[in-house]
Amino acid sequence: MQLYHITLNNLRRRKAKMFFVLLGLAIGIATIVSVYGVVETMKTEMTRQVTEFGVNVVITPDAGGLTFSYGGITLPEIMYDVEQLSTEDVSKLDELSSNNMIRVVAPKLMGMYQHGPHKVILVGANLSQEFQVKPWLRVQDQQYGFQIEEAQVEAIETEDGKKMEFENIDLSRQDLEQLNISDGQVLMGSAVAASLKLVEGDLITLSGLEMEVYGILAESGSAEDQQIFMNIPVAQEILGRPGEITIIEMAVDYMSGSEEALLSELNQALPHTHITSLRQETLRRDEMLVRLVRFGMAISLLVLLVGMLVVSLTMSNSVRERTREIGVFRALGFRKYHIAKIIMMEGLLISVVGGLIGFIGGMLIARYAGPIFAGMDIIVPWRFDLLLIATGLAIAIGLISSIYPAYQAAKQDPVEALRFI
Amino acid sequence: MSEIMISLRDIKKVYKSMGDEVEAIKAVTLDIEKGESVSVMGQSGSGKSTLLSIIGALNPPTSGIIEIDGIDIYKLSQEKRADFRREYLGFVFQQFQLIPYLTALENAMLPLTTTKRSSKEKREMAVESLNRVGLADKMKRLPNQLSGGEQERVAIARAIVNAPPLILADEPTGSLDTKTGDEIMELFQQLNQEGLTILMVTHNPENTRYMGRTIMMKDGRLSMEQDDLVQVVSNKRQ
Repeated sequence: MQLYHITLNNLRRRKAKMFFVLLGLAIGIATIVSVYGVVETMKTEMTRQVTEFGVNVVITPDAGGLTFSYGGITLPEIMYDVEQLSTEDVSKLDELSSNNMIRVVAPKLMGMYQHGPHKVILVGANLSQEFQVKPWLRVQDQQYGFQIEEAQVEAIETEDGKKMEFENIDLSRQDLEQLNISDGQVLMGSAVAASLKLVEGDLITLSGLEMEVYGILAESGSAEDQQIFMNIPVAQEILGRPGEITIIEMAVDYMSGSEEALLSELNQALPHTHITSLRQETLRRDEMLVRLVRFGMAISLLVLLVGMLVVSLTMSNSVRERTREIGVFRALGFRKYHIAKIIMMEGLLISVVGGLIGFIGGMLIARYAGPIFAGMDIIVPWRFDLLLIATGLAIAIGLISSIYPAYQAAKQDPVEALRFI
Repeated sequence: MSEIMISLRDIKKVYKSMGDEVEAIKAVTLDIEKGESVSVMGQSGSGKSTLLSIIGALNPPTSGIIEIDGIDIYKLSQEKRADFRREYLGFVFQQFQLIPYLTALENAMLPLTTTKRSSKEKREMAVESLNRVGLADKMKRLPNQLSGGEQERVAIARAIVNAPPLILADEPTGSLDTKTGDEIMELFQQLNQEGLTILMVTHNPENTRYMGRTIMMKDGRLSMEQDDLVQVVSNKRQ
């Protein structure tokens, strides 16, 4: 027989009590695991959503009407039929001293057009630039060899010293020359093509201009499915808005210059516009998430502290109840160290099991309830690094909360314990 | 000349309670030889259990010297005293004091738990010890599945498992009926005949007939003393 037999047999005897201690501890660990698991996944997902866009700076008119959303980041509303930006604004971008940071400029004009019974959205854009900032766009049934290089992760340090990782998407597609459509051609979103019953090579008449359907975009689930793309001057003509631009999307390389300087220059050059840096929006959301994590962790630690107290109190009670038993052990030649070891092993065993149950419970909560709580379509993966953290934390709690009861037990006077006198 | 197992010289024990001093043991001097069986009798509060705890290396005296088998036990550190108890002493407590969640075998094995013997050896020793007290067939039972007499036997098996030279028993028959009590006393007598030294505290005068001699205690003193040494009411075994 070894000391652990005494520990195990005692735990078996006090099943109900041990169950509640386990429960207290498991709830604490499960809270930490689920909060951490969900928030970390939210963070990763948000960063992924934002970096999926080649676009990271968007210039919009300083007014509202239409909402744009980039990875869940909603830009101020803009109106289609109000002149706010112009092609001159686009050319001003070339004059910026920081323009070496600008990799792609994708201006476009958007407007509603009544095509027979259908209302369609016409988009005037430079397609090769448009495809560069929207890497997910594909043309159906065409082998353009759209192989996007594996995203390179870059860490960007913000001014307050925080690091953020961005996937630096390679925008240099080899097929872009093939996307130079002529003024007599359009590229159609899959949904609008389906509703107008058009296929590649068909003709469509817009405001008296007969245009050929150059291609149909593969369905992407994004706004582009509803849009008809053409060159900017053609769209300006059809919509009767010469020289107008609705929005300018830009891909900026933050590694080759100061973001602040560029944004400041843009604000000066285009004072009538609203300039949004998606990265800064992400950072703001990241800060919010960090606050959320802190809050969640504070709550979790509180729950854990309660769990720790429950373990400690139960162990202390157990030691008091076992006074005579400990006296017998001491009389039979157990050293103080042996008594402390029996109690510590009890605490440790409960904690490890509590940690494992807490981890499994926490992960299940995170996986199944996490998306509902987060309001995001996320899949929380099984995090085995969290298993280590959970068991490590549980072991620490077990040891800390057993120290005092173990000390109490070890210092018991065997004579008092046995009531010899 | 016979060897001395327990030697008490001028042992005093004073307890402090609410500022008052209570003398539980007053200058007790006593020798017990190896192989002797001695019962200590006296009324409640006479100091007999305190004396037993002092001899049991559990309760340091306020003054005086106590040697067991030539070892001045209170010169040992607390932890060394724990080792001493394990190797030299077998305790039989009032009301058995078995561990309720351990089987008879595991209870008997308890003093071996912290030794470096192999599990097999520990088990063999415990089985042998339970055999000696006639409980080999009930080894796997928990204490609450055993009668009072059987529990007492497990307690005795636990006391002798380590083959200690000295057994200290505190009211071992206190919670047993007369018949079972007699059986237990016969067991003690048998162990004594096998060479163990036994010191037993008891209320029951009937028990003294199984012991070699009886010491009477009153108000912290040996009530029957001769000269400086021990005294005694001799009882012939029946």
